[in-house]
Amino acid sequence: MLELFAFVGLPYMAILICIVGVVWRLRKDPYGVTSLSSQFLEGKQLRWGSLPWHFGILLIFAGHLVAFLIPGMWQSLMSVPWLLVSVEVLGIAATLLCLIGLGVLFFRRLTTGKLQKTTKLADFVVTSLLIAQVALGLMVAGGYRWGASWSTGTLTPYVWSLVTLSPDVSVVRDMPLPIQLHMTGAWLILLILPFTRLIHMVSVPIHYLFRSPQKVVWSNPRRHEQAVTARVTQESRRHFLKAAFGLGTAGVLLSVGVLDKLGRFFQMPGMHKDEEANLLETRLRRLQLTAEEKELELERMRAEEIFVARLSELNGQAGKYFIDYAMRPGLAFKGEDGWPMLLSAKCTHLGCTVGNQVDASGRILCPCHVSYFDIKTGMPNPGAPAKAPLDKIAWVVRDQNGSEVATESARGSRTGRIDVAIADTCSLYIVKSLTLEA
Amino acid sequence: MRNSPAQSVFDFITSRLPLYKLNMKDMVTEKEVPVHRMSWGYYLGGLALFFFGIQVLTGMMLLFYYEPTVSEAHESVEYITHFVTMGALIRNMHAWSASFMIFCVIAHMLTALAMKAFAKPREMTWIAGVLLVMVTFAFGFTGYLLPWNQIAVNATKVGLASIDQVGQYLPDALSHLAEEVRVTIQGAPAIGQATLSRFFALHVVILPLIVSGILGLHLLSVQLHGMSQGVEDKPKRKEKFFPFFILKDFKEWGIAFLILFVLALCLPFDSLFPYPLLEPYNALGSTPDGIKPEWYFFFVYYPMEMLPFWVIIVVMTIATLGLFAAPWIFRNSSHKTMRWIASAVAGYMIIMTLFGEQIYHAVKG
Repeated sequence: MLELFAFVGLPYMAILICIVGVVWRLRKDPYGVTSLSSQFLEGKQLRWGSLPWHFGILLIFAGHLVAFLIPGMWQSLMSVPWLLVSVEVLGIAATLLCLIGLGVLFFRRLTTGKLQKTTKLADFVVTSLLIAQVALGLMVAGGYRWGASWSTGTLTPYVWSLVTLSPDVSVVRDMPLPIQLHMTGAWLILLILPFTRLIHMVSVPIHYLFRSPQKVVWSNPRRHEQAVTARVTQESRRHFLKAAFGLGTAGVLLSVGVLDKLGRFFQMPGMHKDEEANLLETRLRRLQLTAEEKELELERMRAEEIFVARLSELNGQAGKYFIDYAMRPGLAFKGEDGWPMLLSAKCTHLGCTVGNQVDASGRILCPCHVSYFDIKTGMPNPGAPAKAPLDKIAWVVRDQNGSEVATESARGSRTGRIDVAIADTCSLYIVKSLTLEA
Repeated sequence: MRNSPAQSVFDFITSRLPLYKLNMKDMVTEKEVPVHRMSWGYYLGGLALFFFGIQVLTGMMLLFYYEPTVSEAHESVEYITHFVTMGALIRNMHAWSASFMIFCVIAHMLTALAMKAFAKPREMTWIAGVLLVMVTFAFGFTGYLLPWNQIAVNATKVGLASIDQVGQYLPDALSHLAEEVRVTIQGAPAIGQATLSRFFALHVVILPLIVSGILGLHLLSVQLHGMSQGVEDKPKRKEKFFPFFILKDFKEWGIAFLILFVLALCLPFDSLFPYPLLEPYNALGSTPDGIKPEWYFFFVYYPMEMLPFWVIIVVMTIATLGLFAAPWIFRNSSHKTMRWIASAVAGYMIIMTLFGEQIYHAVKG
């Protein structure tokens, strides 16, 4: 019986009384439909109470309203986890804002002398009821999580069943007590609305937000001047507030997004085992390459002669790269006479490494600024960016027993003779002593 | 009555660095910014500062993962790009913001030139600014090498080798000097670990320190002197620096950040390079095709390709000295003349940057 009263009787009674009461108030005393503002009596604390409360409750109310008006769409939105979390967080934040505001308002009523002259019992009733209602709401939000999602399938059908005059209490009957109390509280607030300052809900001057600024024209020149100054100040203030608000909001949104990205940068990346292994392998490969390079360098410091290639590997079409004593790239070719030709591959223009493919006119190309070098002389083509010829590199050819067969110094002076019969068994070396001599 | 020499030195310094204005009233509450058709130029320095801030922030973040050794550098950059959460974003932001910063710095310098902002008593501000431009280019040059890929190392090699070219114009006894300078910068006869270490130190420690010093002086003197008038006639309108101008400044920063962030999320800065250039540097292989510096060096790179080297040296020297001496050279020039000069320079830079390659191919065939 009590149940039926709480979930059916009370709601209809509250709605009825609310509608009738509001109409009665509006007809009886249209100018009395106000919030009984006490801003003139005390403004400072009011700002810290009224603003948080109103911002908070408007947001909360909007949240309740969408769940009631568009349950289907809201439900599908709330199935996106991050959206649900955001909405809940926002809701709880707004609730806390409400509580803070109400607390300040309550405290203000209790402690400000001027106010108490105009304070009636109804004001305390309203404030207490609101505090209780918000606190219950917070309990529901905290104790029965994800209300933004579950309410659309439970409370929304119940309220709609009331609206469509076919009350169905089956869902709400077994709800936990805090939720039931929260619902009862809502009907009670509706019930007392016409008889308290809550009536100001029906007289919110929303059109103030959209109307153009009013210009008050004074006939008195002095007053006129003052009014204009006041208006200019106000307008610049309004511009500033608008800009600051816009920038502030943009700033907050940006920083939320950006900090999220920046924060994650420092987390250890979650890598797959295979990925980790592959990465390690590539790193190891690079270290080995570096080690090989260092070995080459050490060899060039210590060794008197360094192996370049077997003579049989060389030809006149594609040069073989090697590293000379100065750790610069070099190219080895075989000339038509069967003698090796060793050139530095470091372009004399800006130091790029020259390509190794020989073109039809016996030249190799530096790709950086297009200089062609003759492989016989090392000379660049006329008009090329490079002016100086590629350096020749000193070499020695030894037979398979290691005895010297022929040499050429960096200046190009040759000794010995390469016998065609044994040429293929011979090997080519670069020589430190002949290099230094040049 | 003539002042004593000590007094005139003191007067010179106080008029250039009016520290008696070091108070809220002069620097904030009563500072005003002229409003005229060139006013947009007043925002460019702030934007450059903003991008520099981004560079510092993202740069510090990259330092958490980057390893400055020849064997690890390329791998660590790849690791940032592919594995670190949002690593690609941060790296892209660093790279895009570098380009934006250089653009803003150049544009800021050119508008300052056009608005004759260097005129007395702002000579020190201007010289500090020119130094900052140079340091910014040095940032670009040193930072380019750090990923240690083919294009980075080879382009740096080419850039440094141009120092050698100076040697041919020096008297015989000094001709090796240029090469010695290059080797000193490189730290070794060939580009290698020594070079990477040096460039790293320059990029993350030394240049930032230099910048913070010069930038401090630059900003302080901007605030002390207030904005220059910028045009011939006294501007009819002025707006308050605080809060109006600074709010607009912040608005520009917000827009800039939005563009940068979206760009960095959507477009990797290196998507404009052909692929093999981003492979790790191979000291033993040949130089790949298509080696060129970053776009902000095109204005000196392409002429260098087309003209005899001595022309470049002479023009660069004159231009640099001219920049430093601008407050005295153009002391009596009108604003109109300055606008012409700045437009000509801007036109040259734009054409060389956008069409340098085509011009080069047209000239070289």
